[in-house]
Order: sequence, then C-alpha cells, then structure tokens
Amino acid sequence: MIIDVKHTAELSRITLTPEELEKFTPQMETILESVSVLQDVDTDSVQPMKAHVKFEELREDISQESLTQEEVLRNAKHKESGFVKVYGKVFGDIEES
Amino acid sequence: MEYDTIIGLEIHVQTKTKSKMFCTCPTGYFQKEPNSHVCPVCMALPGALPVPNKRAIELCMLMGLATNCTIANEIFFDRKHYFYPDLPKGYQISQYKNPICSNGSVILPNGFEVKIERIHQEEDVAKSTHHTSTSESDYSLIDYNKSGVPLIEIVTKPCIRNAKDAKDFATQIRQIARYLNISDADMEKGQMRCEPNISIQEKGRWEEKDGMILPLGDYKLNPKVEVKNIGSITAVEKAIEFEVARLTKDLEEGKPLIQQTRGWNANKNVTEFQRSKETADDYRYMPEPDIPVIEVSNEDIERVKSELVELPHEKIARYMNDWDISQYAAEVISASRKDASYFENLQKLLSEKLEPKVAAQEAANWLMGTVFALEGDKEIDMNDLSLLIMKFKEGKITKGKAEEMLKDCISNNKDISDELDMFEKESSQNAGNIQDIVKEVLDNNPKAVTDYKGGKEATMGFLVGQVMQKTKGASNPNDVKNILIELLK
Repeated sequence: MIIDVKHTAELSRITLTPEELEKFTPQMETILESVSVLQDVDTDSVQPMKAHVKFEELREDISQESLTQEEVLRNAKHKESGFVKVYGKVFGDIEES
Repeated sequence: MEYDTIIGLEIHVQTKTKSKMFCTCPTGYFQKEPNSHVCPVCMALPGALPVPNKRAIELCMLMGLATNCTIANEIFFDRKHYFYPDLPKGYQISQYKNPICSNGSVILPNGFEVKIERIHQEEDVAKSTHHTSTSESDYSLIDYNKSGVPLIEIVTKPCIRNAKDAKDFATQIRQIARYLNISDADMEKGQMRCEPNISIQEKGRWEEKDGMILPLGDYKLNPKVEVKNIGSITAVEKAIEFEVARLTKDLEEGKPLIQQTRGWNANKNVTEFQRSKETADDYRYMPEPDIPVIEVSNEDIERVKSELVELPHEKIARYMNDWDISQYAAEVISASRKDASYFENLQKLLSEKLEPKVAAQEAANWLMGTVFALEGDKEIDMNDLSLLIMKFKEGKITKGKAEEMLKDCISNNKDISDELDMFEKESSQNAGNIQDIVKEVLDNNPKAVTDYKGGKEATMGFLVGQVMQKTKGASNPNDVKNILIELLK
C-alpha cells in the first residue's frame, strides 16, 4: 500500500465506509503511480522555477474597506447573529472561546 | 527515580499592522461586528490571491533582530494543511523549512540563555465559539475577522529546564514586543499565546545536541506534551508545574505516556486532554505557489535594524553600572518603555542641578516611592516634579510635605508650581515669626525644656515636631533645630 487512504480521509474529516475505502484505495494508488514517474526525473542540475519579488516592492500596509457582513454571509449555509454557524462537535477539540 | 524537565516554548504574537497579512482588510477586530473585516482573500473564495504585507514582515524581522537572530535573504511561504472550520482555506499560510529569523537567543535576568530556533511569519485563524450541550445540537459560531491577521511564531530550542525560566522568557518576549511596538502582546486579548512543549526524561540518559533531545544508549525518550490555551504569563508557570507533576506521577505509577496536546483550564488550575498530536507529515506542508520568493537585501535588513531601541535588559545593565541603581529598581523602571523614558528624562532634567548619579538615584527614589503609586492615567508633569525634587534637595520642603503636595495636585488638578509658590511664600512668612513660634512651644512645654536641659537630648525631636506641626510643615526641620538649640542654651 503506497497510500493510507483511511488516514488521509481522517485528516480531511471525511468518513469513508469500508466499501468506499476498498474502492478508492486502488484508484488513488493508480493516480500516485502515474504521477510518480516525475520522481524519477533527475532535477539535480535544474534551478527551481519560482517567481521572485523584491522586498521593497511588497504591498504597503494600508487597510481598505472589506465586504459587508451581509455579503460575507451570503453563501453561508447556516448563520446566527452575524456569525457563520457550524454544526457538530469538531473532533473533540477545545479551542479558546 | 530522578527526572530532568525539558521545555521548549512556542510563542505566537499578533503583530501590529493596519491591514491583514495577505489582504487589505483592517486588523482591529476587537469588539467589532462579527464577519465585518472579511474579504475574498481571508474568506478563501476561489481565485483570491494572497499579497504579503511588507510592514508585517518588517515587524517579524524586528523581533528577530531584537533577539539576535539571523535574518534570511530570501523569504518563502508554505501551506500547512489541516481541516478545521476556523481555517477557511483548509490550510494556513506559514513557513516550514525557511523561517525569516533563525538561531537567536535571549538572556534572562538570572543570566540563563534561552536559545531561539526560529521566528516565522504566518496568519491567524478565525475565532470560533463552541456551544456544547448534552443534546446532539452542538454547534460553533465562526467570526472570520481574525482570520488572516499577521502572526509570528517564536520557537525556542528545548533548552529550558524549569517553569520559572519559561515564565521569565515569555515575560521578556512580551516586553520586547511592547518596547519595539511590534505588538501590544496582551495575552488576555489573545495577542500573545504561549504553548510550552514539556517532557521529563531520566537523569543522565539523554543529551541535547543541535537543539534536539537525543537518547543515550538504549534509553527510550518519553513523549512530549504540548499545552495550549494559556491565557496569562503566570499561567505559563503554573501549567508547566502541573504538567511536570502529572507526568512524573504517571511515570512512577507505570502508566504509559502518549504524545498529546492538552489545554490549560484556568478555573480548575489543571491541564485537560485535547487530542493526540498530529505530526508534521500530517500537515502535508507544500510551498505556497501563490506567493513569489521575496528577496531581502542587506540594506532592507539595516533599515529595519534602525528601528531597534535600547531594550530593557540593556537599560537595566546601564542603570546599574552608570548610576548605581539597585537591580530591583532598574527592573521596575525599565518594565515599560514609557516609564523608562520618563525616568531618563527626569534624570536629565535633574542633572542640570545635580551630579548625574545623584540625579538618577533621586529620580529612581521618587518614581519608586511616590510617582508610580500616585500615577493613574494622568502623567505627572516632569518639570513640576523636578522642581519639587529640587526644593526637597535644597531642604526647603520635607519629603512628606512634598509628597502630600504632589498627591493633592494630582487628585485635585492643582498646579504644582503654583502650590510651591504659595508654600514658599507661607514659609518665608513663617520664617519671620518662627522665633515666636519656637518661643511659644518652649513656654507650653516646660517639662520637655527641663528634660532637655537635664541631658535628655531625645526631647529635641519632640520639640522640633511641635514646631513643625504649628508651621504645618512649612519650615525646614534643620533650621528649627538650630533655633531651638540656640534658645535653649
């Protein structure tokens, strides 16, 4: 097994049934195998292709108007008093409240 | 069995910028309407492009320069993936292998050197408020105003050995952040967050090498615990002490230890299990393709360096060496940049008339003994204060009277120089009839006079006190004493 699909799914909080797991695992392995040919290419002498920007050209710290609360919440499935509402206990984690 | 405590600290500090890390939304979210400082970038709408904030990166560099770090000439950002409602993109833009600042150090007041592994730039997440109940309708309310606020993370090497040093380090970082105006670093407001990593290891069975804890021989290292949700500097110390005791007890009872994240419960003064810790692999770091590599020249770094000011530990050393100020006073005075600059300016002002060392000590005495206790939100005018101190030094006013005057002027909004003028006028009037007052006191206290003449010199203090009372403190006790001695001959 070159990929632990169950673990990967858990990291994205996706629950897979045993049937799904059985179906997806070979599919994902095929994808990874196809892509893995790239790993064999010798890139030792190749410079990474990355755009560069000079520090002084970065964005100056000026704030501008944001969207309105109404606009922000327009696509939220659930909302309450201006907040986005998310149901379910999120994997038992306790954040500061 | 004897154990060593091994502590590393991760400190997050929100830096003080006007706009967010990767977009132009305003940062001041405190007590603002929820979801009113949000745009397509910090809400992670498809196609939105993050654009780094120059000032935020400067503040990260400044923290690095103040803690003796090396500043990178190329800045890279990475994506750290985890899935949680407070993180709309599904990843946080952070830095993985190449932080902006690395290999720094801070010297604590007790001389211990805390080594800093790195300081990197990232973005804050949204604020979620959890509403849990026994029913199945648990939910969270999310406010994205905080999402994308610039955040720096300071990571020490696992070189700290006790809770007190961890607390002192956090205190020093907070002080530096405030001195350099990098952040208000208010832990209660979440502007600064401390997360200690703690483990205990058998004495003599491990070594520290290049900032890593390695086992010796066939020893198996005990896993570490990370504590989150610490809301104050004192809680840093308390949480570590609790955790060390808990780990020691578990080990001695033969319970298996697991790597985990725990949360500090400030009401119960305990840590509570949150989750078993994710590993770096689980975060699936990858280079952030939307942000180019940022080239930083040495001139850029020099420019940021020019923002450095003399830091508290440097001030303390200077006050002690140059002016013989006690360590305690030096620490109290330099605790905030405002107090330190008040002290230094007062010293300068007093130096016009006094020796620099005397001026400094006088300034320190007055600040520690009187001004800090009196000062509310209103600052005492320095010229007035120096005038008062000089009158005291010249023996024209007693310290008690001067303090009383200062207090009166602050609480009743009076002008010190006016009050001093009035007081001096009264004093000079009194000086004329002080002879009369002294005579009156002598007449009223025949027993004291006899006692004094009979050799009971302590009676002098009583007589001086009587005169001072009658003149309402508006006379110099030494002058009074001289007159008394003269008249009692």
